[in-house]
Amino acid sequence: MKRYRVAIVETSALIAEGIASILRSSATMEVVGTYAAVQEVEPLLAAGGIDVVVAAVGLCHQLEESSLAGQMPVVGLQSGLADEATLRRFNGVVTLYTAAEDIIRIVSEACQQPAEHNMAESHELSEREKDVLVLVAKGFTNKEIASELNISPHTVMSHRKNIVHKTGIRSVAGLTVYAVLNKLIDSEQL
Amino acid sequence: MNKRHTSPYLATFSPDMKLFELVEMSPSLLSILSRLDVRLPFGDISVKDLCEREGIADELFLILCSMHTDDSFRPDVEALKPEMLAGVVRYLRLSHRYYAEHMLPHTSAHLERILDHCDKLSHSVLRRFYDDYTTYIEHHFEQEERFIFDLVDGGGIERDKADCSLFDMPHTDIDDRSNDIASLIFKSLPEAAPTKLRCAMLEHIYALRDDLRRHSNVEEYLLKPLVEKHINAKR
Repeated sequence: MKRYRVAIVETSALIAEGIASILRSSATMEVVGTYAAVQEVEPLLAAGGIDVVVAAVGLCHQLEESSLAGQMPVVGLQSGLADEATLRRFNGVVTLYTAAEDIIRIVSEACQQPAEHNMAESHELSEREKDVLVLVAKGFTNKEIASELNISPHTVMSHRKNIVHKTGIRSVAGLTVYAVLNKLIDSEQL
Repeated sequence: MNKRHTSPYLATFSPDMKLFELVEMSPSLLSILSRLDVRLPFGDISVKDLCEREGIADELFLILCSMHTDDSFRPDVEALKPEMLAGVVRYLRLSHRYYAEHMLPHTSAHLERILDHCDKLSHSVLRRFYDDYTTYIEHHFEQEERFIFDLVDGGGIERDKADCSLFDMPHTDIDDRSNDIASLIFKSLPEAAPTKLRCAMLEHIYALRDDLRRHSNVEEYLLKPLVEKHINAKR
């Protein structure tokens, strides 16, 4: 039987440990760890060490700007009010009142969904993607971009993939024109 | 016609049909006639008579028509006569001229009409991007003519090995760049550019992209295997 490796991202230790305990009770789930920030999970994605992320809905913005967007199924953990549009961006949502067996089922189902259908649904570039795009337009290499933005080269690659997907533009020259037309960069920066 | 060539179009196209009927079935074939510089009006001329008049094998002409009409059509090169190679090269040279003298400048003029509505910086970066794109395509054409077509025409293909790798990578790159221009016009051009002009420009770009794809199919699935067949036969 396939075991899904789960990372939990939640600032409340009580909620994180509660969800972890429920998931550990299932033979199909392996909880890799609980984390307080999305960035802590990115290296696990890079190393191919997780299959799904369960994250607080409030972290939606961080998730969207991370290398997880479009790469990994993400289940939202709703502990307060959240709008429909935000909830739709997750591959599944559990609340503080969802029954234990339903939590396991929702996480299992999320694992079977195509990763590209989460978080990256928006065709607007995130702020982080815009930062990467501007540096690409300026002629920076992936390594230089990683160093400039203090992120890993793998995360840069992931952002670039999302930029190509969202803009429909593949060439560096085309991306530079895109950055100019969208006022992300001016002539002096070129 | 060899039965191993399979295409619903090739099955329908025949040397005995009238040229007018052929064009009526697939009006986009007019651009092939334009490339071949076929004199108009062509009255009731049959495909066979036209090919004889223009010095092109009717089998090759119908294969080109099929490849132009049906992107998935692949000719059975094994069944083709080696002498067809010269005809293919002649067509591709005419096709290069058609892009350089007709399609690329025509699209460029259309782009200029749109750019008149853009600010100075947008105008200059888009113009440069398009000019680089045409330069890249024309350079690729020159390379093909120098390293392949000239060898075929000069009989050198039997002595020197033609560089078939030229057919590979650049076509994907040309396709990507065509899509990039379309994406930029579609998604990012300033609102000041009128919709009608923008849509007309997109039609030009997509027509150019699709035509270049078909051109590259002729090179990859007709010219390249014929060149290889020719080289292998002389070894």
